[in-house]
Amino acid sequence: MITIDQQQKLLSNVARRLTRKITVYAIGGTAMMFLGFKDATLDIDLVFENGKDRAVFKEAVKSLGYLEMDAITVYGAKRNTPEMFKLNDERFDLFVVEVIDFIFSDDMRKRSEQIHQFEENLILKIANPHDIILMKCATERVKDKDDARQIINNYTINWDIIINEAINQIKLGRAKAIWYLAGFIIDLKKIGGKIPLDVLPKLYQLLEKQ
Amino acid sequence: MKKNELLQKLAGIQTLESVMDILKVDKKMAIYYLCRIRKEGYVKTRRQSNNRRVYNISLDNKLGGKSYYDIINHCSPIKIATPVVHRIYGKGPSLEETLIYAIKTKSLRTILASLALFKKISNWVELYNLAKENHIERQAGALYDLARQIMRVRRMTNRFRRSALSKREYKFEYVVPGLKSRDFEDIEKIWKIYLPFNKNDLEEYK
Repeated sequence: MITIDQQQKLLSNVARRLTRKITVYAIGGTAMMFLGFKDATLDIDLVFENGKDRAVFKEAVKSLGYLEMDAITVYGAKRNTPEMFKLNDERFDLFVVEVIDFIFSDDMRKRSEQIHQFEENLILKIANPHDIILMKCATERVKDKDDARQIINNYTINWDIIINEAINQIKLGRAKAIWYLAGFIIDLKKIGGKIPLDVLPKLYQLLEKQ
Repeated sequence: MKKNELLQKLAGIQTLESVMDILKVDKKMAIYYLCRIRKEGYVKTRRQSNNRRVYNISLDNKLGGKSYYDIINHCSPIKIATPVVHRIYGKGPSLEETLIYAIKTKSLRTILASLALFKKISNWVELYNLAKENHIERQAGALYDLARQIMRVRRMTNRFRRSALSKREYKFEYVVPGLKSRDFEDIEKIWKIYLPFNKNDLEEYK
């Protein structure tokens, strides 16, 4: 597990080794730590705007001694899995725009308001809590459901933002976005997530229309 | 009580009494809770003139780093609340960077507060390079002339002025979209930049 302090040192180290300025978006546990939902995380999930930025970041991470690992061991045989790098207990999951079955859309980028700059070259934007939930829905590992529940139970969620983004994902070609979201919300309800009563019926209606 | 719950309830500026009030606990328990979150780095303590302790409780204290707004608030008599989170780790942002950031926000209050930075800015080369990168060299020059009229500032180098000054083909631009000045039209004409302030707006600097 990486704590906030360790994560900051690590990102500063990576930033020092970057050859140019890049902007990345933190989703998952890293974003949750910056937003105060969590004290430690297993992995650092980052989304890049393009492959070139990821290549620059990869070089920096490799120079720190991180070794590439196979995404199948964590994500199974899903599409758009990240490139993964591991050193001891710390792991980087590096996505480019697409996060499994979802796209890190322009609207999501606009909603990422918090900026954390490390040294000169690494600009880390923190995904909005609503979008973190959607990304958790995309990756759908066991711990992701716990994380999503944590956000839902500790933050005032505007469910319209989440539903509208799911609709937006369909427009972007992710036809199953609402289907996945509905399934995820049912699972969240089972583990004690506080979901308003009207959310699932709205999603079912959208599914029927689709 | 869980840490997250504590932080949510206590976020902001608190005194021991307000903590007791919010958590509905006695003095002993309030001190215990404050100690718990202080150990984790969420609390900054300062004293008022009457020696009473005031606690600033925030996640930002734990995250560390510095924000441009911290620097503006440190240098300026006009204090601003942080409208967006932009923290910098591993390096202290320079005053020149801070001024450019403030101009780029296009926020009236932020730019007003950042005028005080001209008192301390000495690296005009860095300021010019940063301004040029962001295409706001004329805005920086016009704001400098404005600051010079209301406070003592360091002298701008002739090189900055010559390089940044408006050329004939330039069109008028805004510092804050839609806002023009009634009182500083002379500066506006020199730089071909509409300034967002009138004399009354700058009273806090006197």
